[in-house]
Amino acid sequence: MTEAPHTGELALDIRGLTRRFREVTAVDDVTLTIPRGEVFGLVGPDGAGKSSLIRMLATVLAPTSGDALVFGRSVVKEAHAVKPRIGYMSQAFSLYGDLTVRENLDFFAELRGVPRREMAARAERLLEFSGLTEFQKRQAQFLSGGMKQKLALAATLISEPDMLFLDEPTTGVDPVSRREFWRIIAGLHRQGITVFVATPYMDEADRCNEIAFMAQGRIILRDTPTGMKKRVPGRVVEIAVSDYRAAMPVLKRLSYVRSIEVSGEMLRTLVDCEDDGACEGEMRALLSSSGLVVEHVRPTATDLEMAFATLIPSVDLPERDDRAAGPEVPE
Amino acid sequence: MSLRRIWLLIWKEFTQLLRDRSMIPLIFLLPVIQLVMFGYVIGTDVKDLRTAILDLDGTPASHRVVEGFTSSGYFVAVARPVDEAGVRKTLDGNTAQVAIIIPKGFADKVRRGQATKLSVIVDGSDAKTASVAQGYAGSIVANLSSKLYPSPAAKPGVTTPVGVDARVRVLFNPTMRAVNTMVPALLAFILMLSTQNLMSQSIVKERERGTLEQLFVTPIGRAEYLIGKLLPYVAVAIIQILVVFTVGTLWFKVPFSGSVAVLGVGLGLFMITALGQGMLVSLMSRTRYQAQQAGTFLMVPSMMLSGFVFPLSSMPAVLIPLTYLIPLRYILVIVRSNFVKGSGFVALWPQFLAMIIFSIAIFGLGLSRFQKKLND
Repeated sequence: MTEAPHTGELALDIRGLTRRFREVTAVDDVTLTIPRGEVFGLVGPDGAGKSSLIRMLATVLAPTSGDALVFGRSVVKEAHAVKPRIGYMSQAFSLYGDLTVRENLDFFAELRGVPRREMAARAERLLEFSGLTEFQKRQAQFLSGGMKQKLALAATLISEPDMLFLDEPTTGVDPVSRREFWRIIAGLHRQGITVFVATPYMDEADRCNEIAFMAQGRIILRDTPTGMKKRVPGRVVEIAVSDYRAAMPVLKRLSYVRSIEVSGEMLRTLVDCEDDGACEGEMRALLSSSGLVVEHVRPTATDLEMAFATLIPSVDLPERDDRAAGPEVPE
Repeated sequence: MSLRRIWLLIWKEFTQLLRDRSMIPLIFLLPVIQLVMFGYVIGTDVKDLRTAILDLDGTPASHRVVEGFTSSGYFVAVARPVDEAGVRKTLDGNTAQVAIIIPKGFADKVRRGQATKLSVIVDGSDAKTASVAQGYAGSIVANLSSKLYPSPAAKPGVTTPVGVDARVRVLFNPTMRAVNTMVPALLAFILMLSTQNLMSQSIVKERERGTLEQLFVTPIGRAEYLIGKLLPYVAVAIIQILVVFTVGTLWFKVPFSGSVAVLGVGLGLFMITALGQGMLVSLMSRTRYQAQQAGTFLMVPSMMLSGFVFPLSSMPAVLIPLTYLIPLRYILVIVRSNFVKGSGFVALWPQFLAMIIFSIAIFGLGLSRFQKKLND
């Protein structure tokens, strides 16, 4: 594997990447570097520009301005040098439904110039690895959602890329298959493959080495999952009470309760308090005196969901009405 | 450019085509169904025209004229009114479609070798029947006059209330069999249908499913992709043309008096145009439904304004300039004249020139847009 000397160990070096679709700016001046071998997660609401960013990195969408270097090669000027080293999985299942599992693999292997003598061995290994061996003669359209995604991943892996771009690879996939999919990604990580993955799921983001939060076309925060959680001021207290709806206005009266979230039948509050014990006692007392039966009030671990919910409003979001909640326009 | 990759794409396209159960019948049956539809339904030959006969002369010569009409198989005497008012009544009441009036003194004039007239009145409310009837009448009268008059100097003229000139058609297609001009036209029409629509559908399908994007992360070039996509549909179109040609000449007994070279070059140029249109359609459409709509949008003016169904001669003058923008118009002249009259490159050079201009312009435009924005 050769590398341009000036980029050192960087897998990705994004410099001011911007993409506009008519008057909508989908990706707005994104600058980001990602070291080799990382599993990097990109999270953010729908329409944040995640897909557009990934499509530019995967050389299938031309940037309006800026550039990105993948292993030191420009996606704008040297797309031909970038393509052989990357694999890209778009949001939708993007293989041929009317070809069989094996035909799809062979097709992409041959297209990507995998040497003929290696093709069969690689295909068999990937089928084994993704648990699709017994389905290899089945047309891809008759696979389940999870199997389709595994096949798509196998097809992108057949050319043994050094970098994978995955755009919400597990959307619409059942939890068991999702877990399996991430087990495969963990395996790729161990092999030293760099993974850049967009995901709407916080539990998936939690499995990444680093995550970036994207909103309105910009990268707003970038940190490790632990770092993200540490940024949250205060800590999370879980409250189980007989009537959580009635409990919410009661808790809101306390100045140190920063936010309240409903989680199932319980409440998760963000508490910023000097003496945690005293504050918890006060909460319990207040709820009881309001005629509610308190089951428990206990501190719990911060998760990413809570972290983003509390961090994002405090981040300086650029105020721009023209693209507020605007859908991504794939034009 | 890699032959291996192009071949791979062609293999993929054909595999998909063969697995699509609705596709194969469509490819082979569509031309045949269209042929049968246009050949039998629209192109039904006009015969057994209901005819009113008013013979004011009542001589052996006038009887011969009447017989000349009724024995032709095209005219059936259904009424014999006694005066012109009666003739009018049969036409108004739709009892008769055609009326033949032989004036008094017809035989006398013929005997003296003088020019004479007989009237053939055609109900113009059905333009097609009218023009066909006029053609038949013209040829029957011409035939009769050569028998009645020894010298060709004086012949009875034919006066008819409708003013459509049918001489050209009668000259080259004496039986006026619609199928003789419909089969060659279908060659071009089906070529357009399959290359433009099948190809744009298949490109849009790839874009819709995201496989197009996947292809562009591979080393495949746009030119390779385009060739891999075009060739299978060119092959399909050629097969369809052969089906139409075979069924047309063998089953419908359409005489082919042209040359394969002229036909081939003409249809080849037209195919390039249709492929260009297909590329443009596929670029304009995000979904297959949109592509279908866009395809129909292009197809309707082509059918209406090219002379495919309705003759250009019966078109309002305001629409005529528009017809020059329809590529199908020129190829129809080429295939029809070549089939029926055997016209070659020399006689058809204006049409060939137009086809060359269209193919370069439309294919070129499609190609340049394709290179630029296929994947945006």
